Amino acid sequence: MIDQGIKSRPQYEPLRLDPTGKRHLLLVAEPDHRPEGFETKAPTIETWIVVPRDAEGAAGIPLPGEDGPRRFRSLRQMLDCLGPRLAQERMGLRLYATGREDFLWDVDGIARRAGMGKGEVQLSHAGSLARRVYCVHCRTYNEGVTMTIARCEGCGAHLFVRDHFSRRLSAFMGVKVDAEVPGDVPSAEQAYL
Amino acid sequence: MIITGNLSARVTGIDQISPTLKRFRFEPDGAGEFPTAAPGAHVLVTLRGPERVWKNAYSLVTSPDERDHYAIVVRRVEQSRGGSHFIHDVLRKGDQVELSAPASLFPIASLARKHILIGGGIGITPFLSYLPVLRARGTAFELHQFCAEGDVEAFRGLLGADDPRVHVHGSREHSSIELMLADQPLGTHVYTCGPDGLMRAVAETAERYGWPANAVHQESFAGASGGRPFTVHLARSDQTIHVGESQTLLEALEGAGIEAPCLCRGGACGVCLLPVLDGEPEHRDHVLSEQERAEGKIIATCLSRAKTDRLTLDY
Repeated sequence: MIDQGIKSRPQYEPLRLDPTGKRHLLLVAEPDHRPEGFETKAPTIETWIVVPRDAEGAAGIPLPGEDGPRRFRSLRQMLDCLGPRLAQERMGLRLYATGREDFLWDVDGIARRAGMGKGEVQLSHAGSLARRVYCVHCRTYNEGVTMTIARCEGCGAHLFVRDHFSRRLSAFMGVKVDAEVPGDVPSAEQAYL
Repeated sequence: MIITGNLSARVTGIDQISPTLKRFRFEPDGAGEFPTAAPGAHVLVTLRGPERVWKNAYSLVTSPDERDHYAIVVRRVEQSRGGSHFIHDVLRKGDQVELSAPASLFPIASLARKHILIGGGIGITPFLSYLPVLRARGTAFELHQFCAEGDVEAFRGLLGADDPRVHVHGSREHSSIELMLADQPLGTHVYTCGPDGLMRAVAETAERYGWPANAVHQESFAGASGGRPFTVHLARSDQTIHVGESQTLLEALEGAGIEAPCLCRGGACGVCLLPVLDGEPEHRDHVLSEQERAEGKIIATCLSRAKTDRLTLDY
């Protein structure tokens, strides 16, 4: 049930500093998963990192006021700052993001709207495999789904979590599992941790 | 609609734009309209001279929504292999010509946020069909046209001189590609059409400022400059054909009545590629990869020639 044979799912590789870029912006959603090869002291590399309030001062994460990566309280705050930042940017920038899959494609969407293309953006999956699931019936986004079947927070349908990932919506598609035989809901497994 | 075969057209107007430039207007022969052409599209014009036939590719300079007529602008080249002399000196108003259906190998990148168009000389032509589209879309763009001092006025006239986004740089003016590309907003794409040297300078400058390859577009117009004559042997049909000094391989094949595949005739599309069985090609196209060039197993017949006296093709 987990391997649904869907070939269109994005594949990820470790981030690599692209030497053809003139300036680099690295977005790190999970402070425990910092990519290698991005020396943050170099003036052309800027790092943004999500540091929840309780992680401040932990190993390797600078305290407020210290030099180093720009810190954000949440993913949402980082994403909200990205669009305005890219609107100021010039050609020659390379954007890198590491984190959960939904975050990566949120970043990609913001980059595309800013006119960036494939050769300018690198995405690498890190951290939890929990899925954002889009209910194809009521269009609700269900965050952090770890089970193969999930109850939609919008319409209450039992959704089968497909491997079909939409890059535009940054979400996996969820379809009513008992559409043919109402009430016939198979037992769910925890598959996406 | 898929169009096969040629469009029958008539020359309905010829304007002398400058001492070396003429604009030709074609209308459909009989009732009906031409197909819609994408911005940057070209047509192959078949010219039947007394001794030989040319099929030359010219960019349409008309707006894509103009279907009642097409127009091209042609420079009369001194060192011409004949095509531009024929079209300038022999073609008259009222003459019938055959046009291929328009094809575009030089489209506008629809996701770009800004477009920089850099033309050199007659390489202006594809941009003449870009301009009405970019203006109508309200997209940010800049056009820079490099040309000889004597052509400045003619090009200003073609491009619309009162648009502050359009710049015509005569050869006496000092202008730099660096300044055009150094500080452009994210999401900018650059397009060049013109002499090889200009296109190379644009590509190198863009790379130096960190532009990704997919943001750099170029179209070279057939720069087939001729070369040493050679013979081509077609293995399947067992024919041997002489390729003259001022002829391309493709033209020699066509001259012998062979319907060889082709589309752009400028080494850009790869439709004309044929397998090589023997002999060493001299590659002049823009399609093959370094590895394919080194292997020498395929040849773009529209531009490339032979280093050896004889070339055998699997055709």
